[in-house]
Amino acid sequence: MDAIEKHRRHAEAVRSAATGSAGVTEAALRAAVLARAAGGAPLGQPYDALARQIGEAAYRVTDAQVEEVRVAEGSDKRAFEIIMAASIGAGLAQWDAAIGAIEGTGDATS
Amino acid sequence: MRLPDVERGDSLRGRALIRVISIVSAARLPDAARVAFYHRSFVGPTFGAWTQAAMRGPGDWSVGERELMAAMVGHWNSCAFCIGAHHATAVRGLEPALVDACLADYRTAPISEPLRATLAFLETMTLRPGDLAASDAKDAMDAGVSRTQLADAAAVAAVFNIITRYADALDFTVPTNAEFDRAAAMLLRRGYG
Repeated sequence: MDAIEKHRRHAEAVRSAATGSAGVTEAALRAAVLARAAGGAPLGQPYDALARQIGEAAYRVTDAQVEEVRVAEGSDKRAFEIIMAASIGAGLAQWDAAIGAIEGTGDATS
Repeated sequence: MRLPDVERGDSLRGRALIRVISIVSAARLPDAARVAFYHRSFVGPTFGAWTQAAMRGPGDWSVGERELMAAMVGHWNSCAFCIGAHHATAVRGLEPALVDACLADYRTAPISEPLRATLAFLETMTLRPGDLAASDAKDAMDAGVSRTQLADAAAVAAVFNIITRYADALDFTVPTNAEFDRAAAMLLRRGYG
């Protein structure tokens, strides 16, 4: 298995885990947050503000943005899942861009 | 914002690990490890497996070079925790002056041309992923980077583009330099899995 395929399997496993049934929040919400942090469609507040901010510049995330999601979801664990989904969404979009660029060279040698 | 449940742990095992490791290392367990111990039925083990493969798995990049790439992603994303943690780990495998020079400006740092070209690719991937094109990858390959090396480096950057984001969203505590140094020793000994 080449390096791209090895890492692609890991990346897809992470994407599946973030949006699958193992979470305590709604899987559809996590999928929407993951997509939003990668520049996808807006979603309702307070999720939109947090997901967008994590995707664009996480060091500017405010306590209020996290607190509003924590209150809406009702627990730290649920807020944690939303933060992880957004972080993973943005990081995987960058991974997809990198692999697209590498494969776009047409260089199949190792 | 810090989440108290992540800070203290959500299971008996997690709380015990936090307590024991803090005692043994004589330092507060870094927040990155607390996240790894938290909510283990969610993404933690799967993400940990990718992180371990990218940072410690087989490949042409040395552990020090991979840790340098992690520190650079922290730098580009303005993540103080990740800069400190991976600078401290990188300098155990690379010359400290080289790591510092990269963080100041990798374009002029005394590093190999393939590593410099790889960092240029990772910088665009991190800051302007929409602009990343096959020509960027070709530039790196023309500098002597193999397809495998570039994919392995992109995996390091992807993992740390995720970690920097949750580190800042969860407002990770930034340890002292001495604490980062102790944590680096643990990271080299135990890995990320």
